Amino acid sequence: MNAYGSKKLGIGTGLLLLIVCILCIFPMFWMILVSLKDKALTYDPSVWFFSPTFENYKAVFEDRNAVDYLKNSAIVVILTTIVSIFIGGMAAYGFARFEFKKKENRAFWVLSLRMLPPMASVIPLFVMASLIGVLDTHIVLIVAYMLFNIPFTIWMMRSFFEEIPIALEEAAFVDGASRFRVFVQIILPLAVPGLIATAIFCIINSWNEFVFALFLTSSQASTLPTTVTLFLSVSGVAWGEMSSIGVVTILPVLIFAMIVQKYMIRGLTFGGVK
Amino acid sequence: MLRRYFHNRPHLVYIGPALLILGILTFVPTIFLYGLSLTNYELGYPDFKFVGIDNFVRLFSGQDAEFWYSVRISLGFMIIVTVIELLLGFGLAVLLDREFKLKPLAFACLIVPIAMTPSITGQIWKLMLNAENGVVNYLLGFVGGKVIWLSAENAFLSTVLVDVWQNTPFVALIIYAGMRSLPSEPYEAAAIDGANRTQIFRFITLPLLLPMILLAVVFRAIDSLKTFDIPYSLTQGGPGSSTEFLSMHVYRLGFAQTGWVGRSAAVSVVLLVLITVISWFLIRAYRKGVENRG
Repeated sequence: MNAYGSKKLGIGTGLLLLIVCILCIFPMFWMILVSLKDKALTYDPSVWFFSPTFENYKAVFEDRNAVDYLKNSAIVVILTTIVSIFIGGMAAYGFARFEFKKKENRAFWVLSLRMLPPMASVIPLFVMASLIGVLDTHIVLIVAYMLFNIPFTIWMMRSFFEEIPIALEEAAFVDGASRFRVFVQIILPLAVPGLIATAIFCIINSWNEFVFALFLTSSQASTLPTTVTLFLSVSGVAWGEMSSIGVVTILPVLIFAMIVQKYMIRGLTFGGVK
Repeated sequence: MLRRYFHNRPHLVYIGPALLILGILTFVPTIFLYGLSLTNYELGYPDFKFVGIDNFVRLFSGQDAEFWYSVRISLGFMIIVTVIELLLGFGLAVLLDREFKLKPLAFACLIVPIAMTPSITGQIWKLMLNAENGVVNYLLGFVGGKVIWLSAENAFLSTVLVDVWQNTPFVALIIYAGMRSLPSEPYEAAAIDGANRTQIFRFITLPLLLPMILLAVVFRAIDSLKTFDIPYSLTQGGPGSSTEFLSMHVYRLGFAQTGWVGRSAAVSVVLLVLITVISWFLIRAYRKGVENRG
């Protein structure tokens, strides 16, 4: 129960909340609006009603290789998420159910990787990747993204595993099941909602990642966020195309974010706040 | 022998792979970074030599004025953004902390900025803040205002504005979660003792919410110090170098304008140390706050 008792929504607070909500979605709304505008109307902010055209979308898919960016993003995001969930999920179970020396110190070290500035790891990764010759490939991004996906998975899944009553496992041990069998057959099925939520957060974070993608790829493996580099020059900025590729980039993450709305606070705080 | 080692440490099978991968992914690049920062390595030139701490001497002796400017605006950005987002986020959490029918819809709206790709955020705001054709100035025009948002004087504040737009809902959600889990006993006791609203807020709500507030501060302070995506797509660090935050400075020095990887590695070592020190202090404060609550 709420400590203040249940407060009602007055007209004043209701209005304030409405304004906040409008402010939150306005940039997205505007981006969609501009992306549907005819070239002649793009630079006129006073036009809010017009017959929509899809020529900007057609242009980014035909001339700007939007499909390639989309494909690269999908490949990188899906593979890094699968690997991170697998390796991080195992570790999360280890942290949730075993007692060992320096456990909290190690868990804390994992958490501290969240603070690491990508700008500090990306320079050596860039030089190392170019030495090995994997620059501008999917694999280099998949590995680099594990740097934030595995710590996230460990802390998220640890909080989910710790919610599962330990008595369930003990009953199975009495029946003679091995630790690994218990993990796979009893714990994992119970943790499926948590696994899905964690995977979706990994997808969102990897999809949105920009620094690694900017440095480590140039043409063959570039992901959607790096499309902003196409539109940096002052001359000939195509607002319609900018907006339509922006819409293509943010729509999938917004849909995913709505799916994990229930776990949003938990996901944003590395499982720290439930 | 190896078998017995693992038998005595059953957890290693589970946490081993993850710690190994993370260890390799952090220690090797970090050592490499320190190594690079001691060289004069340039992009495109295979020959380089170790120059000792020359790069750092250059930074700290004041020869590199742009570096100190970057440090100043990065720290300023961190403090300004964190304070504004904390205040607005707290207010927003108070607004949300009541019962109403459309609450799920309100949350759906708040999640839009949180989930939006930061580089795209910078890009769309660049269109909206455009002085001549931007919608913000168009709307301001109704009340007779016009601001050159991305000029040298205003670019810093515009970056603050965009960051506040993107991250205030995040702070609000965390503090809201804290408000929802407040225990009711202290409030009942306070009501019996006849405490007024200000006293209740000052002596009960604020201390109980402190861990959540500190958690939000940890995340926002560190992330805003690392900021790169939004300035990159909004201003490219410009005009001139007016929004060249530390991460941006590293990028420009090493990869965009000049290819001085060695020197930019030295700057990112400074960034790394700065973030380590600040997060150490913040996390210590957070842990203290959590302990004091119990």
